[in-house]
Amino acid sequence: MSTLSSSAEIIYVPLWRVRLRLFWRSVKTNWATFTENPIGLLGLGLIIFFGLFALAHPILMNTAWERKVYDPVNGFDIEIPFHPSPPSAKHLLGTDPMGRDVLSQLMFSTRFEFALGMISALVTVLIATTIGAVSAYYGGVIDVILMRVVDLVIMVPFLPILIVMSALMHVGMLELALVIGILSGFGGTAIVIKSQALTVKVKPYIEAARISGGGDFHIIFTHMVPNLLPIALLYMMFVVTSAIFSEAVLSFFGLTEIDMSWGLMINTTQVFGYLMRFDTWYLLIPASLAITLLCAAFYLVGRALDEVVNPRLRER
Amino acid sequence: MTEKVLAVNDLTMHYMTRKGPVFAVDGVTFHVDRGEAIGLVGESGCGKTSIAISLLKLLPNNAKILNGEIRINDTDVVPLTDNEMNKYRWKDISMVFQAAMNSMNPVYTVEEQILEAMREHMPQLSDKEMDEKIDHLFTLVGLDPTLKDQYPHQYSGGMRQRAVIAMALSCDPDIIIADEPTTALDVIVQDAILKRVREIQEKLNMAMIYISHDIAVIAEVSKRVGVMYAGKLVEMASTEAIFHRPVHPYTMALMSSFPSIVGEKADLVTLAGEPPDLLNPPSGCRFHPRCPYATEICHEQEPEFRDHGADHFAACWHPGGEK
Amino acid sequence: MVCVFRTPLRIGEGCGVQSTQKFEGDNKNMWKFLGKRLLQMFITLLMFQTVTYFLMDAQPGDIADLLTMNPDIPPAERDRIRQDLGLDRPPVERFFKYVGNFYRGDMGVSFSQFPRPVTEIIFERLPRTLVLFLTASVISFWAGYVSGKVLAWKRGGALEYSSTLVGVILYTVFTPWFALMMIWLFAVYLDWLPPGKFLDPIIWLDAPEGLHANNVFLRMIWSALIASGVLVAGLVFTARLSTQLRRLGRWISFIVPMIGLFVYWRFVAVGFNSYAWDILQHLVLPVLTVTLIAYGGTMLLMRTSMLETLREDYILTARAKGLSEKVVRDKHAARNALLPVWTGLVFSIGGSVSGGIITETVFSWPGLGLTLLTAAQVEDIPLAMGALTITGLLTLVSHLVADVGYAFLDPRIRYN
Repeated sequence: MSTLSSSAEIIYVPLWRVRLRLFWRSVKTNWATFTENPIGLLGLGLIIFFGLFALAHPILMNTAWERKVYDPVNGFDIEIPFHPSPPSAKHLLGTDPMGRDVLSQLMFSTRFEFALGMISALVTVLIATTIGAVSAYYGGVIDVILMRVVDLVIMVPFLPILIVMSALMHVGMLELALVIGILSGFGGTAIVIKSQALTVKVKPYIEAARISGGGDFHIIFTHMVPNLLPIALLYMMFVVTSAIFSEAVLSFFGLTEIDMSWGLMINTTQVFGYLMRFDTWYLLIPASLAITLLCAAFYLVGRALDEVVNPRLRER
Repeated sequence: MTEKVLAVNDLTMHYMTRKGPVFAVDGVTFHVDRGEAIGLVGESGCGKTSIAISLLKLLPNNAKILNGEIRINDTDVVPLTDNEMNKYRWKDISMVFQAAMNSMNPVYTVEEQILEAMREHMPQLSDKEMDEKIDHLFTLVGLDPTLKDQYPHQYSGGMRQRAVIAMALSCDPDIIIADEPTTALDVIVQDAILKRVREIQEKLNMAMIYISHDIAVIAEVSKRVGVMYAGKLVEMASTEAIFHRPVHPYTMALMSSFPSIVGEKADLVTLAGEPPDLLNPPSGCRFHPRCPYATEICHEQEPEFRDHGADHFAACWHPGGEK
Repeated sequence: MVCVFRTPLRIGEGCGVQSTQKFEGDNKNMWKFLGKRLLQMFITLLMFQTVTYFLMDAQPGDIADLLTMNPDIPPAERDRIRQDLGLDRPPVERFFKYVGNFYRGDMGVSFSQFPRPVTEIIFERLPRTLVLFLTASVISFWAGYVSGKVLAWKRGGALEYSSTLVGVILYTVFTPWFALMMIWLFAVYLDWLPPGKFLDPIIWLDAPEGLHANNVFLRMIWSALIASGVLVAGLVFTARLSTQLRRLGRWISFIVPMIGLFVYWRFVAVGFNSYAWDILQHLVLPVLTVTLIAYGGTMLLMRTSMLETLREDYILTARAKGLSEKVVRDKHAARNALLPVWTGLVFSIGGSVSGGIITETVFSWPGLGLTLLTAAQVEDIPLAMGALTITGLLTLVSHLVADVGYAFLDPRIRYN
């Protein structure tokens, strides 16, 4: 039997450093897989574009654009006789029926769309992961109750609920984000995460953690949840799409009490009767296109992420 | 002269991968006589399964037969189109796949899947005749015929394997290729099925190519054995000759890596190195990097696959380890 | 009929000829499963109604306030009305009354269309939305299935790329915009179809007394149902025949209902067939819109599923058996690829319902969705709640049908 060389050095590396290194490595490999698929890059590119779009607005407002004219909610251009006016050098996408610059509105709303999407997605992930993990871990009565609630939420599609809710209460951006987040969190996402949690629950390291005395809370949040995050992240993308879409539809119907959003721009167009006219295309198309593209962007990123999370889907 | 059911001449097939062509089957020549059972043995990735799917021309999109002949009942099938080949598939040559677990479609009954093949290749049979034939096949492989209208997921692993064998026999093929049919099963079931397969083969006088990495299994069922390495057929002889008088150093290593219950205890002989990368196979004889007898010529020139006496074929510059 | 559970065999061969015992058990399981699901559905509906009722009740004000908005009416009158209508009773008691009424068919009275009962309004609008939803779902699913399986089979090439692109576009496009584009294209630019609404009032001004649009519409639904029934029955019966007879049988089961429809509407229904035609014209564009939107998702999913299925071992076996490409693709690959798509259907039903609401709104097509929306906009709470509940019921039933359908499709679920 050979003996261990006594001159071998033992290097001490702090645990967090090791974790960071492993994390970074997995990020790199996942990025490689993600970028293999062009649609993921396309989606990401679009998101970055819109991000810059949103950032550009306060810059422009503080430099090139006078507040009185270009303010997205209250601006008015006195110099132009008749509103809405077609695109010109001064107003790249024209002005809306209330005299406000369309491009400014578009840019201004972007940050809210992002915020809406992020908040909804975050709430959804928090709720769905907790429900999925707890339901899978404990099983029994807790599982049955939670699943009944989930059934209840899935029972009626999103939009009708939101529509009726808007009749019952004040619906601003934050309320909308929270409601969408809660509804999504208790919905289909919870089921998917729960089935994933069920596969994690039977892994040996869970058993090991339990034997070494880990409390339930500890096991769920330190061991199970990190393994659920990839799937949760994936569904986050779809929740963002859903949130932006729902808000746009509701604003289009005039059911929200939001100052400015893409959907609201279309609603304004409709209220003033310019919806079906070809010559006022700049009132309808930029907003609709923005909604479509941002939703599509998150969806595409989600699809590409799907290949990272589910290795079986890869092209090989 | 016994009739040749299958004759493979200089078959070469490659897979096109992102990094270049992989020659999974390279210049392979062998034949199978009517009613004869031969075995093909080799490690994973040596090309055994590739040969199997080439014989039925079931190649995936990125694979192509570059050269050679496959003569089934003296008709070369290599130039045939897929449609034309369909007439031969299952009727002249059929296959039992590896891991029968997923070999059957889960949404149709076992009976329906066998009937499907029979209707395609033997339409002259009446429904009643087909029904009886299936019953007969089931009994032959050791399954209860009343189970035929169940679904594959209702069968156990061993039952599924038997059902797949019954399916392969359904159109009375001249030759069956069995690709590692018992690998996924436990040894007891494996033993039962092997016995059954040998019985069937002898009873129906059917030709068979039995593919496995397990030499013991091959020894039980085949009369002749072919040894594959890195896409090439390196040795082919009767089972007895392969076991007792191996010629190719790889075969020799294979035989001695197989511990014997009888005789004195000896150290296991293992081969150094790893199976070659088929993207960049070694020059000359592909086995030379791991061969204890390799010399200059082995490094430069590929040895010819020739008869070393008494129908014992091998491709080696130093047969039997001689210098 | 027992045989429906199995793949059709040749003519002359019975089904379950050997193991009747097993089949009986199978049927019983089916009913047990159905019963269990119906019970679940009922409980879920009840829970839903509880939540919505108490939400609704939490709103300030009620119909008594509405009726007595005139300041000249003394407050005592308001209290008297409240007492009359039972609004001063405790909430729980009122809830049970509400639920009791619901299951007796009474959903209260609409605020905005006072004094029309909610039930009446909903049942007037419901068939329309059902037609929209069912037609769009069936067509989009079928089209998505076929195109998904064909596209996955032929890999590579411009066709695959462009159709995937079209699918993604249809899936992610902003629905109201898409509906508007459809109107613009077909109704304004091409002028082939009317731009919205259920019917053209000008044509109907000359209608004979007693001719109600809804009656005509119901008549249309009946004729379509009967024709479809004949078609489906024909298809089911001919599936057992040999190939030659089957093709003939399929043509017959297609032609006969078509002829029947034609004869009925052209000759028998004289007097109101022009009005039916008007309704039909107004129906086309909304159905087309919802179909196209639902199609994208199904097609993409089917394609992905098919690509995965093609890697399975049994596909190789099917090819090895010498079966033709079409048979391998349709009978083996597509049939299995269908399963996850069908499951996905359950989730996409919600999307279809929402899409229907948006479409109805943009087209001003008076179905249940538009009713829901306008009720919400004017804060007609009973009507909104009633519409929401019925929408929920519709979704629940669809889920049930989808789940049962899945059991039909996947024998691994049936025999466990």
